[in-house]
This record gives sequence, C-alpha cells and structure tokens, in this order.
Amino acid sequence: MRKEKTTTIYLGPQHPGITGNMMVKLEVQGDTIVKAETHIGYLHRGFEKLMERRNWLQSFTIVCRICVPEPDPNEENYARGVEEIEGREVPEKARWIRMLVLELARIQSYLLWYGGQSGSAGLYTIGQWSVGDRNYVLDLFEELTGGRVYHMYIWPGGVRRDLPKGFKSRVAKVMDYLEKRLDDYDRVMFDNAVFQKRTQGVGYIPPEKAIEWGVVGPPLRGAGIKSDVRIDEPYEFYDQVEFEVPDMYNTSDVWARALVRRFEIRQSINIIRQILDKMPDNGPVWNKIPNPHKWKLPRGDAYVKTESARGEFGYYVVSDGSEHPRRIHVRGPAYVHGITLLEKILVGQNIADVALIMNSLGTCPPEMER
Amino acid sequence: MNYVLNDRESSKIVEFIKNFARKNSLWVLAYGTGCGAIEIPPTMTSRYDAERFSVRGAATPRQADVLLITGYLSVKTLKRVIRSYEQMQDPKYVIGFGSCTINGGMYWDSYNTIKQLDLYLPVDVYINGCMPRPEAVLAGFAKLQELIGKGEANGWKHYKENLEWYRQNQQKLIKNWKMPDYNW
Amino acid sequence: MADLIYENTVVNVVKEHFKDDIIDAKVRRQRRVELRTNTNNIESVLLFLKEKMGFLHLSHISCVDWIEENRFELVYILWHPQEKVNVLIKVDVDRLNPVAPNIDYIWPQANTYERELREMFGIQFEGLVGRHELILEDWDDLPPMRRDFDTLQYVMQNYTFRSGREDAQDVRETIAKRTGEEIPEFAKKYSR
Repeated sequence: MRKEKTTTIYLGPQHPGITGNMMVKLEVQGDTIVKAETHIGYLHRGFEKLMERRNWLQSFTIVCRICVPEPDPNEENYARGVEEIEGREVPEKARWIRMLVLELARIQSYLLWYGGQSGSAGLYTIGQWSVGDRNYVLDLFEELTGGRVYHMYIWPGGVRRDLPKGFKSRVAKVMDYLEKRLDDYDRVMFDNAVFQKRTQGVGYIPPEKAIEWGVVGPPLRGAGIKSDVRIDEPYEFYDQVEFEVPDMYNTSDVWARALVRRFEIRQSINIIRQILDKMPDNGPVWNKIPNPHKWKLPRGDAYVKTESARGEFGYYVVSDGSEHPRRIHVRGPAYVHGITLLEKILVGQNIADVALIMNSLGTCPPEMER
Repeated sequence: MNYVLNDRESSKIVEFIKNFARKNSLWVLAYGTGCGAIEIPPTMTSRYDAERFSVRGAATPRQADVLLITGYLSVKTLKRVIRSYEQMQDPKYVIGFGSCTINGGMYWDSYNTIKQLDLYLPVDVYINGCMPRPEAVLAGFAKLQELIGKGEANGWKHYKENLEWYRQNQQKLIKNWKMPDYNW
Repeated sequence: MADLIYENTVVNVVKEHFKDDIIDAKVRRQRRVELRTNTNNIESVLLFLKEKMGFLHLSHISCVDWIEENRFELVYILWHPQEKVNVLIKVDVDRLNPVAPNIDYIWPQANTYERELREMFGIQFEGLVGRHELILEDWDDLPPMRRDFDTLQYVMQNYTFRSGREDAQDVRETIAKRTGEEIPEFAKKYSR
C-alpha cells in the first residue's frame, strides 16, 4: 500500500470561510482531514478581568460585548445572576419585555446564520435577502434601545425603558413580513439540490455521545435530543407561552441542524405573538437600584443560564460583598462546539466542508476567549 | 511616449486618471479582526449595498486594496494583521473602525488589546462609534475615496518611509518576532 | 413552593456514599445543589455523579481567586439531562502550590477548560496534555486572571494612550473652553 502524504493547512485567521477571527490547523491527506486543531485567542479582551475592576453597573455595559451576533442573552444572564444573589424582584412587565427582546435577538441571530450557512455552501442570494431583512429587526431594536447591535437594555432590576408608543404593532408587522419571507428562503435554500447534497451526512455527531461531549443548543436538538433551557429550566415567563422544541430531525448532520433552526425561527415568531398578547399595558419596568457607586451585593454566587440561538449560555457570578464583582465566568456554547467538538467531528471530512460545519455548530470566537 | 510622460501637464492627467480608477474600485480584505465585523454583512447586503459605491470584499490580501480593522486588536491578532498588511500590494489603505482603534474604547484598561492603531499601521481614515452604523461605514469609505481622488491617502508611502519607527513600535509589543522581512 | 425531591435525593445519596469526604452538601434552590469536597476526592465524586447518578453533562469548570484566604476555589458545574438539576462541586486548591487532578478522561471538553485555567490562573493539572498556549501568546507576566495581576499597571507600562483622554474627562467644560462659552453657575455642579 502506498503511504499517504500528509499536508498541513492553516485555515484562518484571515479566511473568508471562517466564522470570525480564529484558526483551524488541518492535516490533510489529499482532500480528507486526518487531524484538526483549533487555535483561538485572537479576540481575547480579558472581559473577566475588566469586570473585576468595574462596579456592578459598569460591568453591565460591557457584558453585551462578549458575544457579537447575539448580545442579549449575556445581558439577561448578568442581570439574573445579580438579581439571584441580591434577591431583587423584577416587575412583571419588565420580564415580558425581556422575553420579547430575547426572542427578537434569536430571530436576528438566525437570520444572520441563514446568510452564513448558505454562503458557505456557495449560495449567496439568501445572504443578501436574510441579512437585508435582519435590518428590520435591528430597526426595532434601535427604536427600543437606541442601538442596532449592542443594546445595553436588560439590566439588573428590570429593563432600561418602557416600550415606545405603538411599538407592539410595529413588531407584529415585522413578524408578519418575516413569516412571508421565510417561505421564500425555504424555496431557495432548503428546496435547493445543491444545499441538500452539500449538507446531508456532513458533520455527523454521534447522538449517544452528544450530551457527554458537551453539545448544547441546535446541534443537540439536531441529534434528536429534546433539550432547551427555556423548557428545562424556565426563566422569565417561558412557562406561560406555548412553543415546541424540535426532536424530529435526528440525522445529526448539518442538514438536521439547519432544519432545527428553520423550525425554531418560526417558533420564535409564534412566541413573540403570544408575548405581545399577554404583556400588560401598564406597570413599572424597573425596580430602582441604589446609588451604583455604593451598590454592594451580599457575598454569594449564582449559576444562571439562558438559551441563546447557539445553545445554553451560562454565567457563574460570584460576589464577595463589595461594590465590584469578584468573578464572572462566562460559559458560551461555542466554547465546547468550536474546540473539542470541532476537532473531533472534522476528522474524515473534506476541506470544503469545514466552513459548513463551523457555521452549523454556531462557532463564535468572541465568546470562546472573551 | 517618454516625451508625453515628462510633460508636467500630462503627468497630472495620468495621476488624475490613476486616482480616479483607484478610488472607484476598492476591494476590502475580508478579515474580521474584531467585533465590528458584525456590521460588515449589513453594509455589503441589500439594504445598504456598498457595492454601488464601488466597495466590495476580496478574499486574499494580495488582491485587496483596503484593510479594514474592525475594532479592537489583540496583540496576537496584531501580528497577523501586520503580516496581512505587508502582503497587500501598493497602493493600500487602512481604515480604523470603531472607538477601540482610536483610543482603546471600552477596553482601555485591558491587558491584551492595543490602544492606538496608528502607532503600528498607517491609518488613512478613522470611523468612530461603538459600533459604527453601516451609514457611518459608508461615510468612511466616501471619505477615503475623496482622499484618494485628491492623492492624499498616502499611508502606504508613509509606512515605507518610516518603517524603522513602525517596526520599533510593533516589536515592543510582539515579543516573539519571527516574521519575514517586508518584501517590496 | 416547588418540591425539592430530587435535589434532596442527590444530597442524601452523596452524603451516604462518601460520608466524611464530602465536607458540605446542601440544596441551594430549585435545580441547584452545592457540594464541597477536597482535591483528593474530586475525581471519585465526579465519576460517581456521572456514572451512578446520571449527571452526564459537564457545563463548566470555573475558578475563583480568594487571595485574602490564600486559596483558589475550583467550581465544577454538572447538569442532569433527565432530572434537569445542576450540581456545583467546589474544591479548594492551595494558592501557593496550585495542583489539581486532571479529569479530561471523564469529559473530553474538560481539557479545554483546564488549559484555560492553567493559562489564566497558573493552576497545574496533573497529567494534562495539550498546547501550553491556548489564548495568550508569548505571555511572560503573572497569569492574568490572578487577583494580584494589575491590568491597569500593565497597560500603563506597555501601551500609550492618545493625548486627549485626560481632557475628555469633562465633556461640558472642554466644549465650553473650545467655543469660549460661559457655563452658567447652576450648571457647574453637574460638570465633573
């Protein structure tokens, strides 16, 4: 037998197919990957160190910058962590608004994913459509919070301000529009033979190992395991709205994960409609915090988690009884997906499929190294 | 031919045509160095459509004209960015994008991000904001085009002339300097 | 008030099985159980929870630097996929000689977490393999997440700031000075 020659290929950090600023070192035989190694650290800012120097309110302004495509679960986690340690109550309306913001964030994140996933399969039209339509959701955010990408809206004790007049009807209008557009995306993306052939059977995660390997979010649901923090451990009012968690797509490949997301974006639209119905019209949205310079939290710790568009987002918040956080440790879903899992499932795949697999796992470097 | 080019008036015309061509085909290196990269897809796609202003992405450094530094640069990335910048062909331009490139921004006390981009690379245009809206990005590109048209976007010449100074700054941060020499 | 049946079961079973090796075990709230043990027993506790109790998913290994008490606190966070309960297992490590057992044969992703802690806190995990540099590159100072590493001091030594940061401290006054405007008496108390 002829001995195969192994070549080393560095994919990234400057590479159009990589989801952000990271590098995958591949060892290939011909076109097949025999070994993969993820190199991260290109986006490390030392958030956890910076938060030790800031007080509890100042830290709130930088947590949203930890994950760029979907900042709101960070704010939610931080706020709930602080509230759990302090025992602070949140007004009812504020909790509904938080849910609304989280679901809008999920939708905009999935729309960005549509562009990335189809772009990595060579279908650039969908990216033009979905990223263009994402601007309508960002417009809503801009009206509500003042920022397109970073909102700094969900803070300890509630949310920063009430809904503007007529905001609910504008949300409903955007949802109606998006629902119509999603059918268009289906026809171009999911009915497309190119996309089907490129994704089916690619990037297989063995379902029996998935939980043990630390897989969360859409990749875990794509393996046929019903797991969603919104159901497992309902936060805010997720136990009062009805939605389905998909477990019928169980082929555990890129295709199944794409179908899971396609299903969930419709569920999110559905949830938002229920939120708009059930949200009370009046009421306070913020439980006032004391003077932030003198705001001390009791000594204690809390582990809180939120379901983001890429999976379970966990925060471990520790307070030592002073004005500053002692430690805030962030556990992003991509931390496992992008390193150990990616290194495992890339073996045996083709070089051209690396970008596809990375997009389907939701690899997001800024939250891996923080 | 020689005669025509030595004529002062004609060389002005040649320069004008060159600049006109350069400013109307800006290929941006697709390197999302920081979190600002999230506003690049909206800028490039249907609503803001940067392509109508003759701006679009290029996959490799050797075919790109503009290096967009989208936000904070960690020291580890700075090394790769310098390498990418030196691979690009003349003329080349650098846009600093976001507050963090100007003065550290949010991360002013972080141990791992640089505070002032123009110590390490010649910046032609800064766009401020955290993060800048797509309109601001387009305005930044328009400003760059204006500078190129006037022949004032000469950061790359400046880098060549003051390579010593830039190298000194770069090597102060990057401890393990194992890079090939700048290949003109 | 929710019933804490499974949470109490975990506490009782673990206490019964490990007896004195578990220093402290309590139910924090619904879906959160906290255990405290020491570094000698951490592997057996984790293996017991994984194999016998069904805590299959390792969410996280975190570390807190309690510099005043001269210890690092390692926190292992596990998740039970059926019973939906998180358990936090805390272990103290001596700060001067930080050594902890390596658990990446139990969960493969622990390898990444431990490499990060090794880099950020300087904790040595016995028998941990993997590249020494995960996030930082050519770092020769103290591990940055330790409390005694002063990030501001490091910044002042290694980076330079553009001048203008100082006068931007008071925006109102700067603008007034630039335009020659006079700040009214009542507004002065608002400018810092």
